[in-house]
Amino acid sequence: MLRTIKPKNARSKRALDARLPKEVEDQRTAIFVKGTHTGETLNAVMRDLMALKRPNAISFSKKNTIHPFDASTTSVSSLEFWAAKNDASLFLIGQTSKKRPNSLTFVRMFDGRVLDMIEVGVESWAGMDSFKTRKSTPGHKPLMHFASELFDTHPRYIQLKSMLMDFFNGEVVDSICLPGLEHVISITCAPTPASLINAPVNMYPNQQRSAPEDLSSLPKVHIRTYTTRLLNSGTRIPRVELTPMGPNLDLTLRRHQAADPELLKQAMKRPKLKKTDIEKGLGKKRKNLEVDEMGDLRGRVHVGKQDLGRLQTRKMKGLKGEDLDAEEDGDMDVDGKADEDDTPQDGGRRKRRKE
Amino acid sequence: MDVSNILASHAAKYQSVTVQKETPLEVDAGFLTVTDLNPIDEESYNENLEEHLQSLARDGVQTLFSSLFTLYARPSPDGPLAQLPLPTTQLPRAKPLPKPKPPTKWEAFAAAKGIQHKVRDKKVWDEEKQEWINRWGREGKNRQVEEQWITEVPLNADADYDPRKVARDARKERIAKNEKKHTQNVSRANTAANPRDARKKDIEKTLATTRISTASMGKFDKKLEGEKKIRGVKRKFDPAESSVANEAQASLALLSRIDSDARKTRREPQPEESVLNTRKAVRFASKGRGGLALGREAAGGRSSRGGSRGRGGGKGRR
Repeated sequence: MLRTIKPKNARSKRALDARLPKEVEDQRTAIFVKGTHTGETLNAVMRDLMALKRPNAISFSKKNTIHPFDASTTSVSSLEFWAAKNDASLFLIGQTSKKRPNSLTFVRMFDGRVLDMIEVGVESWAGMDSFKTRKSTPGHKPLMHFASELFDTHPRYIQLKSMLMDFFNGEVVDSICLPGLEHVISITCAPTPASLINAPVNMYPNQQRSAPEDLSSLPKVHIRTYTTRLLNSGTRIPRVELTPMGPNLDLTLRRHQAADPELLKQAMKRPKLKKTDIEKGLGKKRKNLEVDEMGDLRGRVHVGKQDLGRLQTRKMKGLKGEDLDAEEDGDMDVDGKADEDDTPQDGGRRKRRKE
Repeated sequence: MDVSNILASHAAKYQSVTVQKETPLEVDAGFLTVTDLNPIDEESYNENLEEHLQSLARDGVQTLFSSLFTLYARPSPDGPLAQLPLPTTQLPRAKPLPKPKPPTKWEAFAAAKGIQHKVRDKKVWDEEKQEWINRWGREGKNRQVEEQWITEVPLNADADYDPRKVARDARKERIAKNEKKHTQNVSRANTAANPRDARKKDIEKTLATTRISTASMGKFDKKLEGEKKIRGVKRKFDPAESSVANEAQASLALLSRIDSDARKTRREPQPEESVLNTRKAVRFASKGRGGLALGREAAGGRSSRGGSRGRGGGKGRR
């Protein structure tokens, strides 16, 4: 653990305050760590991914003996130490070995502890330099595109989607400059094999960690990056064309560690929405308002609740008597004036009430 | 009139922006993310991978752009700023939710009294200099008396009376007082933060109450082993003799307390002590429209509101 520091001046106090938990969080900072061996491929992959993640990226230039999936090592405590020291909550660890060549490990932290991890192997790779096209501006938010039904059904791919969204795009912003949407990160799976379509989905991957999964049945994941070109379409919405930008990655899923349910529950807690935000229409569907195809805001005017009790239906003798009685009672309670020319019986009741 | 030619030329000029898919794409505009849950077509995947991926991505991005461009957009110097909705995808937080700050004693009091927080300007207007100067800090207003080159001295002042020192001491005292209040607030927040201790104290209090809540006030009750005797509050008395200065100070404090504003307002009767609450009566008689309307009505003769007056009279008789 880091020792707690008492700020001695206003500047260091501001720096410490910036690290305190916030209701609406900033973008996660990622630390790029090299393991004991990283080949030429991994170095280049990490450099390109860092170019996409910049400016919220920190690179560790030295090699580190780190094996996050090996519980017998002190890797997890090292990760926690680095996270606290750098105020970072994401790690990308590159490590190549004979058994697992070119493996990248995504580690996500919560509250200074490891939340979950995913290991992927880089099968093929094309860097940013290999495409002589326009590149995106560093710091611009990417659009994300996921394609495959597995991202909705398979726990491994749901976790991967969540991790990649957090890695590239996990920041809540209230507005975005439309011309600033320059590049797309597209994540597509290979066609789903029949064994995965019919197989019952293991909803509790934590409990069966001892039994190794059949990794070969998990389809490949293709990560592609494109820049967007907006063409005139004659309507308000432009026609989009894409140009490959790089890096292009083909990944296979390897080991993973799902989030501890208790820790995940804490991490998923949402702040209560403020009253002003709710009034502004955040956090709930704005009723009676919609934006039509022309981009105009259209409202539906409230026309009062229809009183179905007054609806004239078929008149029947049997229903008539009850209704009249009920009406008389109501009149007497609400308005004293109406009773004045009523039966003496009612007048007597009124007197009694006065006493 | 046949417009098919015009339509065809328009279609040739502009490409379509609509995307047709079996399962409609899921758009999370808050995270600028689109998810295509349609199964991947194996044939086109094997035929030409890059082209297949790019066409898939284009369709997805087109859908995403369609939803982004229909959002309400504010104009800005760099282009339209689309107001994004809250994201629908739930991602884990990086840090736990911030804990609410415990209120200071003043904040608790202000909340109870309904006192609104007023922001005090950092700058105050200086009449002599005719400019805005800092309330505190560099060349601040609070140090003006200490720093000015000439200061008025009261007529009956001592020979060694130093107005600068007096002003400085007063300022230092205010700072010390604020610091003291701050530490008190911090320590109060620390003790209040432990619900276990508060609960323990609560239980002990209840236990003590129950022990003296018998007919004999606990005197003849069976005692458990190891049960201690309840200790009440030990009264403290000031010494009978004390210095004259102390005594005078205590008496003056008592007098000032008796004479304080809070006491006065409570003790003095309300100036208007009448059986009839005129304000309420006027409001009632005029049916909430005020005395002026009532006067106008009386001057203008009988209005058609005879019935209402009758009802008002009826209430009065009760």
